[in-house]
Amino acid sequence: MNKNKTKKTILNVKNLKKTFGNNVILENINFNLLEGESLAIIGASGSGKSVLLKNIIGLLDPDSGSIKINSTEMVNLPRKDKENILLQLGITFQHGALFDSLRIWENIIFKVQNQQKISKVNGRKLALSIIERLSLKPEILDLFPSEISGGMQKRVAIARAICGNPKILLFDEPTSGLDPVTGSVIDKLIISAVKTIGASAITITHDMASVSRIADKVILIDNKTVSWSGTPKEMMTSNNLKIKEFIKTTNPKLFA
Amino acid sequence: MKVIINIIGSIGHKSLKFIANIGNFFLFCLSAISWIFRPPWYFKKIIFQVIDIGYFSLPVVGLTTFFSGMVLALQTYNGFTEFNSESTVARVVLTSITRELGPVLTGLMVAGRIGAKMAAEIATMRVTEQIDALSTLGTRPMQYLIAPKIIASVLCLPFLVFIGNTIGILGGYTIAIFKLDFNPDLYLYATIDNLQWIDLIQGSVKAATFGLIISMVSCYFGFNASKGAEGVGYATTASVVVSSVMILTSTYVITAMFFG
Repeated sequence: MNKNKTKKTILNVKNLKKTFGNNVILENINFNLLEGESLAIIGASGSGKSVLLKNIIGLLDPDSGSIKINSTEMVNLPRKDKENILLQLGITFQHGALFDSLRIWENIIFKVQNQQKISKVNGRKLALSIIERLSLKPEILDLFPSEISGGMQKRVAIARAICGNPKILLFDEPTSGLDPVTGSVIDKLIISAVKTIGASAITITHDMASVSRIADKVILIDNKTVSWSGTPKEMMTSNNLKIKEFIKTTNPKLFA
Repeated sequence: MKVIINIIGSIGHKSLKFIANIGNFFLFCLSAISWIFRPPWYFKKIIFQVIDIGYFSLPVVGLTTFFSGMVLALQTYNGFTEFNSESTVARVVLTSITRELGPVLTGLMVAGRIGAKMAAEIATMRVTEQIDALSTLGTRPMQYLIAPKIIASVLCLPFLVFIGNTIGILGGYTIAIFKLDFNPDLYLYATIDNLQWIDLIQGSVKAATFGLIISMVSCYFGFNASKGAEGVGYATTASVVVSSVMILTSTYVITAMFFG
């Protein structure tokens, strides 16, 4: 607890509200992400987790509320300033979202190459150093995303997210659609990536085993708002009905 | 009574949606055009598109215009034999091809080949979150994805039409000489003699306009795709249908501007 007090708040979300037409998706969302902290966001499908993520990364604008990254207010910030701050984020999307027309190494260094012109040789070297850190095989560098497996694509997406050493990493359901073994490998990669570059992380997931492995803190989005927050340990022993129900429905094996 | 109100309500809802779509399309066009003039320019992507649109469309454009020129020569000859006016075949083929058939057929072929490809590619990128990923990686999708396609389409279509016109006229020549037994020198002389700058300029204006229409419409439907594979299918079909209708509508407007 005292340890957390000395840590700087890197992301602060306050009273965030998002609607689509008359449909309220999120309201009164409040949470903090501290420097070096790993936060897991859990919630049922359609509860608005991905919408929350899209608000944080600037793909959607909230109706009201505040999103501060490193104390800079992101809501209503001019486009160019917003883009500069968003470069401090590294994001992996649910299905990887690798660019089909680019080779793996070009995918990995995409952001860095846009910021500074680097030669093909140096680009490949940079991509190689990152995939080696994530224990990926160098042979995949010259392949296209369609030529590697789904699990491998997710690992490459993580490599792309950490390239450029972002301050905050965001993972949208990184283990969805993967077998437990590959899911566990992805979790280890996330832990290693966060530690290696010293970033904070937000992970959206349904997988309780994954939450226990990667998260320092958990928040549950239910009924449009943050209905519970605590540590993974507190989550597993919580008497909160919503948490219990969520764990039971998403991971029945834990109750077997 | 309730049924009538429901029908009127449904018509009203669809009309409003249609008007909103037109508004969104024009906003998209304005935004896309503004990104064309802002650096950085992705020259590698523009060159790739020029090769795809300009070079790889040549076979289909060439085949279409060649056979159209042949058909035109044959039909014109059949029609004009009754009036003993075979000599006008060269003029009719030339004027029809340069003013109308060349630009329109090229436009329709490119809409089918390139428009569908653009829409499917961008729609797939939309539904697989690749466009969202672009935004988060320090790139503006309008500038990186859309602008190169528009620039390449507007640049390539006039050249494609020029080549298509030449091949179409060659198709007419082939039939006139080898099937209708025209004198080659006389036919060639009649063709060159009737060639007018205004026809070529009008054809180029049409071609550039069609290039703009095809790229804008295809990119718009692709960029706004949703609902997974079904959305990609819809975007592809809609882009070809709307582009074709807009090509046929705008060709009348441009013809009326030049010759009306």
